[in-house]
Amino acid sequence: MPVGDTPWAETLAEQEGRLPVEAWLVALASLPAVGPARLRALLAARRPFAVWAALRGRPSPELMRVAGKQDLYEQWRRTAANLDVARLWARHREHGVGVAALGTPGYLSALSCDTDPPAVVFHRGDPHVVRGPRVAVVGTRRCTRYGSDVAFELGRDLASAGVGVVSGLALGIDAAAHAGALEAGAAPPIAVVGNGLDKPYPERNRALWRAVADKGVLLGEAPLGAPPERWRFPARNRIIAALADVLVVVESHASGGSMHTVAEAAARERPVLAVPGPVRSSASDGCIDLLADGCAPCRDVGDVLLALGMSGAQAAAVDSRSCPDCVGQQVLDALGWQPADAEQIKGRTGLAVAEVARAVEELRVAGWVAVSGRWIERVGITR
Amino acid sequence: MLATISASVLAGITGHPVSVEVHVSSGLPTFTVVGLPDTACREARDRVRAALLSSGVDWPPGRITVNLAPSGIRKEGPGLDLAIAMGVLVADGRLPAEDLVGMAFLAELGLDGRLRAVPGVLPQVRCLDAAEVVVAPESAAEAALARGPAVRAPVSLGELVSVLRGEESWPEPPSPESADPTAKILDLADVKGQHIARLGLEVAAAGGHHLLMIGPPGAGKTMLARRLPGLLPPLDEPTAIEATMVHSAAGLDLPSSGLICRAPWQAPHHSASMIALVGGGSRALRPGAVSCAHGGVLFLDEMGEFAPQALDALRQPLEEGVIRVNRATAVASFPARFLLVGAMNPCPCGELGQPGMCRCTPLARLRYARRLSGPLLDRFDLRIHVGRPEVSDLFDSPSGESSAEVRVRVEQARAAAVERGVVCNSELPDDALDKFAPLDPKARNLFSQAIAEGRLTARGFQRVRRVALTLADLSGHQPPLSGGIVAQALFMRTEPVTVAHDPWSVAHACR
Repeated sequence: MPVGDTPWAETLAEQEGRLPVEAWLVALASLPAVGPARLRALLAARRPFAVWAALRGRPSPELMRVAGKQDLYEQWRRTAANLDVARLWARHREHGVGVAALGTPGYLSALSCDTDPPAVVFHRGDPHVVRGPRVAVVGTRRCTRYGSDVAFELGRDLASAGVGVVSGLALGIDAAAHAGALEAGAAPPIAVVGNGLDKPYPERNRALWRAVADKGVLLGEAPLGAPPERWRFPARNRIIAALADVLVVVESHASGGSMHTVAEAAARERPVLAVPGPVRSSASDGCIDLLADGCAPCRDVGDVLLALGMSGAQAAAVDSRSCPDCVGQQVLDALGWQPADAEQIKGRTGLAVAEVARAVEELRVAGWVAVSGRWIERVGITR
Repeated sequence: MLATISASVLAGITGHPVSVEVHVSSGLPTFTVVGLPDTACREARDRVRAALLSSGVDWPPGRITVNLAPSGIRKEGPGLDLAIAMGVLVADGRLPAEDLVGMAFLAELGLDGRLRAVPGVLPQVRCLDAAEVVVAPESAAEAALARGPAVRAPVSLGELVSVLRGEESWPEPPSPESADPTAKILDLADVKGQHIARLGLEVAAAGGHHLLMIGPPGAGKTMLARRLPGLLPPLDEPTAIEATMVHSAAGLDLPSSGLICRAPWQAPHHSASMIALVGGGSRALRPGAVSCAHGGVLFLDEMGEFAPQALDALRQPLEEGVIRVNRATAVASFPARFLLVGAMNPCPCGELGQPGMCRCTPLARLRYARRLSGPLLDRFDLRIHVGRPEVSDLFDSPSGESSAEVRVRVEQARAAAVERGVVCNSELPDDALDKFAPLDPKARNLFSQAIAEGRLTARGFQRVRRVALTLADLSGHQPPLSGGIVAQALFMRTEPVTVAHDPWSVAHACR
């Protein structure tokens, strides 16, 4: 590629000397619709700088083949012509976002021997916390109170046992697992996200996002400003599977992102555990399917530690909740471990509806039940 | 010759006296109406002429000018037809002016000379300074409510003229039917199961607490809400008069006795505009649904589907019991003290099953939750979830208490409120709560925990306290309010839309 033909060749050549290889990788990763597969194809034959220079030079049939579509290739060329790589690189430094290219000493060793390693990894927080045993706790965003409680409990107990909790920082199960890990204040949490590390996503998890970055590490393969596009999440799931020694699915619908993570973990021969849930709950459909397929059940943190090859010895949790009164106990017995509404409890106990209302509210305050809308669910953990 | 006849027009829900001046002189035959008439009022010319001719009276062959004084206010509707006709007769010398002294006329004329009822007769009669008022037979009962002028209700213009000429005496006014057979009260005994909702209706009726029912489609929210007016006591006299004036001005049907004594029911569709809800209009200021529900129940089904600004316009009447409508040309103030009952689904999909079955994403739920603004939501003292009744409830369970049985307790609770100097507990001022609703230590504990968790605002705290006081009144508990009563009140104020449980924010709220 005769770089010297064009008037800007001097500057580009100067920049090559000044900027590290990561800067050119970041520039390539920020091209539209460039995921892990296209990035790998781009880097197959050339160094990152050479690819960038080729994009700015004459049209190349080879790069056109990687893009697949003429208009996408044109878009790349336009982006490459306008993007100031030095500015982009400086922005990553300003935001405190670290970048490591595959094959460099700063790259996560946990990923470098993976079958499909990201060409570049962005991190916020301390990447050195990714050591020791790690367990991914994943599940649906549309979770039930049961799933959220189990995820929190697992996150907390795994972190207490010194296991790094890996998850995706999405709403629902992911957030609950991270919240549990932070609650324990022991092993630092590891979050793998789908978008750029400059903007918390989803917005509701902003506080959690900050806390994970402070206490643990946020990882991703998207450059700053990358929006949370749909295609980035399956790619994110493969990194979760690659980082984890064991994968636990807490709650998942029959088809969903978690099932994709399971497939990635299975491809890497990582053990997968599923938390059993009610067969009537569609939020547990995926887990029930996994169990039916012969996946090991995860009843508590002991099962996970066993799968990791660690000792399952755990101190029994002390129940600090105040004992319910006679009517409260009657309501708890009638409730069982399935959600019920006040009418059903009234029907089962024969109490007056005002008594049921009083008992449920008192049980809720004492931490025995959770009320979500019409449904009353028994809470099994102590916090 | 000149004649002056008394009549009145309606603006908002108040009447304004109008003098109809008619001048008949020789000249080219014309008939003009001046003094800011609207189209319906200007068309009186043709109706009056036809009605007079049909009644066997010749039309004066000359120049007729009608002035509606005061000329500055706008005259709307056909209510001045009869007064104009009388003016023409007097000015043409066919009736002696002395016979009409102290009389006022309020009716529309048919082309055959028949008298027709007009909306807003009650407020219009109230503003008149007359000894006798002539109205259509259908308006007679309503006009009599004003307890002012003697009500005369001839059937037609011809009959009226004969009476005034002394050829006949005034006809007997139609006697109002004592009972209204059409207004059947919907009874609570028809409701099977739904115990929480029944309790909610009882508390709402007893304490005047606004009620939000959340439940999937088909749970029976509308059916339950329709039974609330039957639990409310009959309207007291001032409220009944106000409600009748509003209904009359809005052109709604009145009971045959003329007076609205039962709590009214209004259920505007969710496509209703803000004007339709609170009243107004570009020309005539008409009372809206909130005023038509004065003294009764305003039911908003599918609350999440109403336009947000229409809902937020409810905040002022909810606080003050009155709505003031300001327009460039007019200002009107309508009474609007009503019990608000809302109904909505728990989430966009309707949540047909148990937790975990709903297919809505957390974001969709959050968006749905935001459809009701926080300040409006805070005004619902009672928020209860209504489920679909179980099949066994529909067939096997005995019917619940009837409306009459519940109304006995409601009236007891309202009597207790009257002893505290208010109509119902929801109107108790904050400073009176410390006196009438002291808390025992357990109740205080429950409240402080709910406030610490962020479930209750300071206003919400006082509102739950009023509900607890109503619950205590209904069950015969004496103050101080116990923990059990407060727990019940808190349970009946749940979050309408549940968004996924978030242990991170819960853990941080507790610190």
